[in-house]
Amino acid sequence: MAQYYPGTSQVAQNRRNFQDPDYKLEKLREISDEDVVKILGHRAPGEEYKSVHPPLDEMDEPDDIVRELVTPIDGAKAGDRIRYIQFTDSMYFAPAHPFLRSRSYLNRFRGVDAGTLSGRQIIEARERDLEKISKELLETEFFDTARSGIRGKTVHGHSLRLDEDGMMFDMLRRQILNKNTGKVESVKDQIGRELDEPVVLGEPLDEETLKAKTTIYRIDGEAYRDDKDAVEVLHKIHVGRSNGGFCPE
Amino acid sequence: MDIEVFPHRVLGADTTEKLLNGIECIGDVKRTVVQGPRLPPEDPNENPRYAERRKITVNGQEIELKVKTGRIFVEVSNESTIDEIRGICNEHLPFGFDINIGKYIKTQKTVSDKIKYGDTDIPDELVGMTDPSARLKDRLTIIKKGKKD
Repeated sequence: MAQYYPGTSQVAQNRRNFQDPDYKLEKLREISDEDVVKILGHRAPGEEYKSVHPPLDEMDEPDDIVRELVTPIDGAKAGDRIRYIQFTDSMYFAPAHPFLRSRSYLNRFRGVDAGTLSGRQIIEARERDLEKISKELLETEFFDTARSGIRGKTVHGHSLRLDEDGMMFDMLRRQILNKNTGKVESVKDQIGRELDEPVVLGEPLDEETLKAKTTIYRIDGEAYRDDKDAVEVLHKIHVGRSNGGFCPE
Repeated sequence: MDIEVFPHRVLGADTTEKLLNGIECIGDVKRTVVQGPRLPPEDPNENPRYAERRKITVNGQEIELKVKTGRIFVEVSNESTIDEIRGICNEHLPFGFDINIGKYIKTQKTVSDKIKYGDTDIPDELVGMTDPSARLKDRLTIIKKGKKD
């Protein structure tokens, strides 16, 4: 059995769940395919996919054993462009965080490229595959409407205090809490272009649920040092790396 | 003596307006600095429903709020004023806050100020009221005491 993450705490268990491709993530909300396309902002809903090369079937490719072994993903088969979706996760108990996202993406999805930075995380894939992946990421536990943000640019805000209404700071104000309905609405696409109609993302999770679902160790939640097993494995890796790096001959 | 009001959440325009009106009513308060992440400049193409930047009214004086309030520095002379401010904060900040005592507003001209203003004498009260990179008239509002709407 694959060992994804050490530790006995709930945070460690959540990290294992995200990274295990056999674990079925809980679906928290419903977002239509059209709404996902609108939020991504790469093409208008209903518009044809643009392509960068002819479909693979029509291309005269040289014989290669690897080409026969690897089944191409749908987007590659059709010759789609590579597009992206990028998330920012608040340090205040967001369900996922950048490093975990990368590890989970590479375990769960084929034909993707994941890029990790301290406050944001990008995934690149062929356009039609990306739309499927985005839908999954937005509908499941990976995403919370208040503590996670879909931000193609101007990502600043993950380490800031939350807004009064519990939303993560966003200079471009893409996701807004509708006070009348109590639901979060996406009023702009991921790079801040205004949408004709807001996309309703749903209610934010309450503090208790977030603390149960989070994958972030925090002193006011579950502290890392209290998770003895995880710390022990970290120490082993640290000592192993230090000894291995010293006079390796 | 300066104090720093540090709310546990970043404040919107409405709460900032209420809080500042409360603080500015206190006679002992000399100077107040609102600090936080800047909001984007006004964009004529943007839907006004989604714009956060707006004018607030403090003691009858209109101020354009250019930041989302993260911290408020207040200069006071009596320690008893801190309790008054704490009372106002309790009323408007239900999610919690800290009040720290220290020196938060600079009182002496620095090299940057010297380069910016030259040898001209600027009043002591204006020193430290804005960043070296910004113009005073863009950032500073003088509120007359005793006038309340």
